[in-house]
Amino acid sequence: MRRKLIAAIGVAAVLTGVAACGGSDNKSDSGKSSSAGPADFKGKTLNVWLMSGSNPPGWTKDITAAFEKQYPGAKLKITVQQWDGIQQKLTTALSESTPPDVIEVGNTQTPYYAATGGLKDLTSVKADIGGNDWAPSLNGSAVYNGKQFAAPWYFASRVVVYNKKIWTAAGITTPPKTQDELFSDLDKIKAKGTKDAFYLPGQDWYGFDGFLLDAGADLVKKDGDKYTGNLDTPQAASAISLYKKLNGYGTAPKDKDEATPQQSDVFAKGDVGAFLGLGWEAAGAITKNPALKDQVGFFAFPGKTAAKTASVFVGGSNLAITQGSKNPELAQDFLKMAMSDQFEGELAKEGGVVPNKASLDSNLSGNEFGTVSAAAAANGGTTPLIPAWGSVENVPNPITTLFMTGVLQGQSPSAAAKKADAEIDKRLSQQ
Amino acid sequence: MRRSLFGRLWPNLVAGILFVFFVFPVYWMLTTAFKPDLDIISTTPVFVPFHGTTSHFDKAVHAAGFWTLVRNSLTVTIGAVLLSLLLATAAAFAVARMRFRGRKAFVLIVMVAQMAPWEVMTISVYMIVRDQDMLNKLLPLTLFYMMMVMPFTIWTLRGFIAAVPKELEESALMDGCTRFQAFMRVVLPLLAPGLMSTSLFGFITAWNEFPLVLILNKESGQTLPLWLTQFQTNFGDDWGATMAASSLFTLPVVVVFLVLQRRAVAGLTAGAVKG
Amino acid sequence: MAAQYKGTQVRAPDEGAAEPGPLRPAGGKPPAGARTARTAGTAALSRATPYLLILPALVATALLLGYPLIQNVIISFQTLDAFQLIQHTTQWTGFGNYKAQLTSAEFWHTTERSVFFTLANVALIMVSGALVGLLLYRLGKRMRLLLSIGLVLAWAMPTVAGTTVYQWLFDTRYGVVNWFLDKLGWHSMAGYNWFGGQFSTFAVITLMIVWQSIPFVALNLYAALTTISGEIFEAARMDGAGAWRTFSSVLFPMLRPFFLSTAFLEVIWVFKAFTQVYALNAGGPEGLTETLPVYAFVEGVGNQHYGTGAAISVLTILILLALMSYYFRIILKQEDDL
Repeated sequence: MRRKLIAAIGVAAVLTGVAACGGSDNKSDSGKSSSAGPADFKGKTLNVWLMSGSNPPGWTKDITAAFEKQYPGAKLKITVQQWDGIQQKLTTALSESTPPDVIEVGNTQTPYYAATGGLKDLTSVKADIGGNDWAPSLNGSAVYNGKQFAAPWYFASRVVVYNKKIWTAAGITTPPKTQDELFSDLDKIKAKGTKDAFYLPGQDWYGFDGFLLDAGADLVKKDGDKYTGNLDTPQAASAISLYKKLNGYGTAPKDKDEATPQQSDVFAKGDVGAFLGLGWEAAGAITKNPALKDQVGFFAFPGKTAAKTASVFVGGSNLAITQGSKNPELAQDFLKMAMSDQFEGELAKEGGVVPNKASLDSNLSGNEFGTVSAAAAANGGTTPLIPAWGSVENVPNPITTLFMTGVLQGQSPSAAAKKADAEIDKRLSQQ
Repeated sequence: MRRSLFGRLWPNLVAGILFVFFVFPVYWMLTTAFKPDLDIISTTPVFVPFHGTTSHFDKAVHAAGFWTLVRNSLTVTIGAVLLSLLLATAAAFAVARMRFRGRKAFVLIVMVAQMAPWEVMTISVYMIVRDQDMLNKLLPLTLFYMMMVMPFTIWTLRGFIAAVPKELEESALMDGCTRFQAFMRVVLPLLAPGLMSTSLFGFITAWNEFPLVLILNKESGQTLPLWLTQFQTNFGDDWGATMAASSLFTLPVVVVFLVLQRRAVAGLTAGAVKG
Repeated sequence: MAAQYKGTQVRAPDEGAAEPGPLRPAGGKPPAGARTARTAGTAALSRATPYLLILPALVATALLLGYPLIQNVIISFQTLDAFQLIQHTTQWTGFGNYKAQLTSAEFWHTTERSVFFTLANVALIMVSGALVGLLLYRLGKRMRLLLSIGLVLAWAMPTVAGTTVYQWLFDTRYGVVNWFLDKLGWHSMAGYNWFGGQFSTFAVITLMIVWQSIPFVALNLYAALTTISGEIFEAARMDGAGAWRTFSSVLFPMLRPFFLSTAFLEVIWVFKAFTQVYALNAGGPEGLTETLPVYAFVEGVGNQHYGTGAAISVLTILILLALMSYYFRIILKQEDDL
């Protein structure tokens, strides 16, 4: 393993030695690393930006140790970034002379950054970092114009996280199989005096996208060779009315997203029946209120019928190397390490997220969220994988501020959709 | 002067109400910071925290790198204020005391500079700093913060300098002082209140700034306003911790106010007697 | 801090419009006596002195403000999106960005909103600030100290902390304001979402800005009042003038320069107010509380169309200059009189 790695560094070093323009610094570095003595990495720091909620503590500790053992003297610096305002941060960082070496990019935003030229083309090294085993459906967002610009890292779909104590107290013993059952269960919980039978803030558009996919529509439609907003449709109207109904089962704000306040914090208070969330949110709630430890359960959002669960939005993250990275060899090896069965498996196990290849799914056994989420993800979709999509997500996101909050606060779905579609069209055409 | 009871009473009454209006947000911030969580989110607000806790402060101070941020903020703020005082005093003296061609143009430049909307120029400032390879450093921040407060400082000091009787300076010149010595010995001491009040203004402005540091210093060289705004995102509706952080952030400004305000007011009374 | 206007802004009416100190000799020229002894060399030096003194400030302004401003104007003629920024490429678009803004209803709505917002806030600040300042003058020593402390505390609160505190005060669920209104008998206000509507969001923003700005006006006005001789009030009273007459025909004319320059600063500060508006509700709901600076930020930095953002900011500067032109004229006229 080790020898192979060193050989890989050698190849990478030669490649970058040719590709690097100028940067005498760079050349001498790669020249040295091909001879791979232990001291060669002294003073080098690999800067990795990960998103809040992505890196569980055990995984972080282990991969840091492994990396620094592999490259004595080198340092792995992981900086955790907030999702809020990340696009502005990434764009400016990618334009700098010393950008972070490795960045985590949300799957819906990856084509946008691939198109800017800020990400390194990984096509030639894809096989080396394990790309042949990646599940094609999960790799889709990392490919742009036929080239591989990122490595699919992990995935997750939102499921219902519920407080077993509250549900049992309302006399419910099995999770609902249909949406009708879900609502009758929530009615029972509400009748017991729980104010927040279901906590769904008005701007969780990932959640809404799931409902929309389930209704059989997409956020945008292709119109000739360009994309336009697609919210003024009967499907979107039915999705948002389901959303509105669910929002009505609690006191969640209609004009805030799931992070303000963190819905896991709200759930941690112990008086919330359920929310639509991810594994790390459930874990966060338990950290905050350990009394919840054995009370948290999960089930996939039910479909209209018991035949299958509802479609979901499959969120996820890719890891990419920046075009301007000063440590491309180290970055590539970090990527390889993160994608390896060992660390990809550990991430799945500890974080409860869906790994990038089916062979690692066994790591999810015992992780209730992971199991439910992986099963739900089989029936999932995502936003359109086009670069222009990234602009739609920019703050203020028209899907949430114009459409969702608009409808939740009493506008007709069609009127709110017209406003949102107009803004979406504007943003899609500006790219 | 005879005033009815009502005539004597109402100003005090109004003053009392105004006092509450101005102090309440500050009071509420402080008490929330000391309240245990259950008191914070109780449906009946707890106005006096009998069961005080400092746990929110612990949480705020233990945020990663807190003391580095404090140091950065202090360095940048104090640096900007001192630099701006130095440059502004010189310029203000010229404008207030000397007649020269281009003086009017300079006054106009200062006035326009005072209006600069920095928040919407962040990207051009960013590109300049980026292309100079000066990102993540404290120096550009210090310089730009100086620039933000300098026009106001010139503007204000000029008024103070003009108010110093010219005869004082002239008699010093007669006594054989150079113009510079006359300034240092006669004018500068009388400027103390002006220097204080402009420092105060500069301190608040630089201490508060965040759109620029947000985009310039993503890796290091970050300052407290970033911490405060991110703190709120990180901790969601943890109002106790957020208010503790806000209190800590406000504290240095209050200290500076208390230290400087007294001198500034002392100077003011002297001026009042003269006028 | 309250002292800054005592030199320039307060003067007895009989001094006319001339600038500053009461003891300034006529003509404002340095007295001959100081110069006669100097040689030609020092005369040249002393001619250069003013330029040497303003040089550092000028250089700093050129580099730190002039350069970014020019850069900003240059960008405003470009298409500068994430792609161009990352690739360091330049793509000119002529007046494209300006044309797009000047023909967009959103821009004009925002401008209108911004101007109205500024005028309303400045009017509120000036009127209530003046009233509080006059009240300070009228109060006894102890109450004056108490109120001053309140004013100074509000003033000292940094904007970033202030916005956080106001969010907390007006929090939907646990905010003390909603609780208080509910207790007053206004039960529909329990659980009221202040940030859900345009008007209520503006109400909170305005309240916060006024709260932060009154101390500056009030304390400065009080400082200015203390420099006015009590005899003037006495004389006005002897003439039988009431409180309003004393203010409108004696005080206000004397303090006109003070009100002008304070209003000038307030207009700039309120018009540029970014943190307060953006941090409270990010210009929401539906962008209905976006003022020009927030709009420029959202379109430029937020949507990563930096060229568009730059064009909006140039237009913002022009609008601000237009708003200020009246004041510029007055100031420059005063400079002429020197």
